[in-house]
Amino acid sequence: MTALAARALAPASAGRLLRLEIRRNAMVWALPLLAVLFVYDPYRTASGYPPVWDVRASVILNHMLFDFGAFAGGLAAWAGSRDGRRQTRDLLAATARPAWARQAAALAGTLFWVLLGFLAAVAVLYIQTARQVTWGGPPLWPVAVGAVALITICAIGFTAGALVPGRFTAPLVAVGVVVLDLVGFREALGPSSAYALLSPSAGALPDDTGLFYPVAPDVAIAQVMFMGGITAAVLGILALSPALRWPGTLRWPGTLRWPGTWRLPAGATGPWLPAVAITVVAAGLAAAGTAAGLAGTARPVVSGWEIPALHNAASDRPLAYPPDCTGTSFQVCVHPAFSFFRDDVAAALDPVAAEVAGLPGAPLSAEEAAARGKGALLGGVITGIPPVYEFNGERAGSLIGAFQGTTASASSSTWRALFQQAFLDALVAGPAHAGSPGPASPAQQAVVTALLTAVGSQVPQSHQVAGGGPPGEPSPAQIAAAANRFAALPSAARHAWLAAHLPALRAGQVTLAQLP
Amino acid sequence: MNIELTDLTRTFGRNTAVRHISLEAGTGVFGLLGPNGAGKTSLLRMLATVLPPSSGTLRLLGDDPAKPAARRDIRRRLGYLPQNLGYYPSFTVVEFIEYFALLKEMPPGRIPKAVASAVERVDLGPRAQTKLRTLSGGMLRRVGIAQAVVNDPELLLLDEPTAGLDPEQRVAFRALLRDLGQGSTVVVSTHLVEDVGAACTEVALMDAGSVVFRGTPGELTALGERTGVGDSPLERGYTTALAAARS
Repeated sequence: MTALAARALAPASAGRLLRLEIRRNAMVWALPLLAVLFVYDPYRTASGYPPVWDVRASVILNHMLFDFGAFAGGLAAWAGSRDGRRQTRDLLAATARPAWARQAAALAGTLFWVLLGFLAAVAVLYIQTARQVTWGGPPLWPVAVGAVALITICAIGFTAGALVPGRFTAPLVAVGVVVLDLVGFREALGPSSAYALLSPSAGALPDDTGLFYPVAPDVAIAQVMFMGGITAAVLGILALSPALRWPGTLRWPGTLRWPGTWRLPAGATGPWLPAVAITVVAAGLAAAGTAAGLAGTARPVVSGWEIPALHNAASDRPLAYPPDCTGTSFQVCVHPAFSFFRDDVAAALDPVAAEVAGLPGAPLSAEEAAARGKGALLGGVITGIPPVYEFNGERAGSLIGAFQGTTASASSSTWRALFQQAFLDALVAGPAHAGSPGPASPAQQAVVTALLTAVGSQVPQSHQVAGGGPPGEPSPAQIAAAANRFAALPSAARHAWLAAHLPALRAGQVTLAQLP
Repeated sequence: MNIELTDLTRTFGRNTAVRHISLEAGTGVFGLLGPNGAGKTSLLRMLATVLPPSSGTLRLLGDDPAKPAARRDIRRRLGYLPQNLGYYPSFTVVEFIEYFALLKEMPPGRIPKAVASAVERVDLGPRAQTKLRTLSGGMLRRVGIAQAVVNDPELLLLDEPTAGLDPEQRVAFRALLRDLGQGSTVVVSTHLVEDVGAACTEVALMDAGSVVFRGTPGELTALGERTGVGDSPLERGYTTALAAARS
């Protein structure tokens, strides 16, 4: 057969080779275990999140990648080490097909099952999410990043197996992937450093991610570029591996000087392979380095992270959406993605809104707004004229487990009381204190507690009395006594006192003793 | 000539495994005899283009394997059974042979028939769909032979092919060798002189990396008619030739 004829037949035989590798790949045996892991980790975790596309999709990188990565890396190393472990190198070396093509088929066999399992798991996750969400569409960037991350892990594992074909290589690679995922990557890069963004693990996302602003793909692009570069470099090293096994035999531009007098190109594929492999390694390293450089310039914005060189300003524009509203005397509007809790939010806010109706600055309606970044969780603010109480999905969503009854430690009544408390805090204490659980002054605490008691809600933990207070300040017992006293007033009397004294109370000028 | 060696030498560090061998071989079955460490396997690996020679020239099937394109073409027309046959336990007999047919870049359309034929040639038809991990050593050896002959090679290199085969299979294998030798060059490295006597048209005896005898099995037998040590005439010729080379 001529070389030309062989080349023409190559795709068909490559397909058959791939089919054989797929059929006999060890990864297929790990799929049932991965399915169990998927159900018990990413699927259950996602079920505890609010039905918001980007939030549910965060388990792809934060959980699924961890579960799949260890198996993918270990079994790719197992496949890569096969020729060495099974001592078929002589047999294979006498065949016409280049080593790189043979290894590519073996790697593709592993990747086929890894990606099939991964995409099937994503499909299950997205189908479950699609049945619950009320707004938006499935995000594709996490899927792309996850797929590229698994390809990278497989490429590294396969190359490690091919270069060090021992029976311990596979478990070591699997453990290495776990360690890297758990502590290595993010910690090595520095958790607070922008370079840590290169780690595909995204960390916890605000619960309204992607609802009020689109999620900027900047970081995902940098991650894909970084991992794609590493993959290319690793595969280039794999193609060069005959040269690496006999150091000092490489001769640019593409001939290997074997021991002896022959000058043989690597893998019997012609003089171009080493040159191409070296180019691929260099290009891969350049891409990874560029991505790292880009990640270093990232800064937080409303749409997530902005990498100036990759950023599209359109990502920063708020998304238009039709608010989902209910109520007449006190209207409550939520983002359509949070329609599922609209009525519960309204049911929680209606009694306290009625209790404070007509007071100076009391909101006439409530509206869900964008969370303003992690670490500055707002319990809610009252803004605008006429006043509107703005709460956010972060506030409601952080209690979503309690709201949905999936968190054993919290109940829906707890959620309701906390939500009402946030509303009253915003009214009584003025602008919300970032991260602060309650109002600043003892009198404000007592009033909020009294109003919660008046509407029949359980007083949240942060307002409950326990032990003595700091020296010079009223003790919790004194605050509780004042709250009880205020709660015992007739509703009209409470309302009248608040109408007269709310501005002073909000300014912190009212003491416990001054409460009726 | 399908094999042309001129002053071929292969060294591993300070050890010389193959020492200045010049040899030619055409169609037929060529036996390579010799004690352990004589250099048979190193020579066979060079003929299989697995190992480059340290010095000398080598032409296979009319081409120079030092040239990448020629080497690839030689490998398409080559069959090789190494001394230690590695295999993939999870593959079936048919899959393993098909795998090597694909690696030898056989036309895909020809592969199913060629694989079936190779399986039948080594009498593994009933085991065709059996996983390799369940086969005995002798059966694995036959699988190795099947993968070597699947592409109807013009140059077939067999290193200890009958090791592990039972007598019945050995007899059948010799018949296969004779059949293959009709149209191609078959090089058989073996310790078993009866294989050489039964199947080879020509024989070379190696010792310490050199060819110390070259001739027909009959000529080797004749060497030991008076002085050799051994149970068979060919064994006596073998020991006589070795003793003469070492004296």
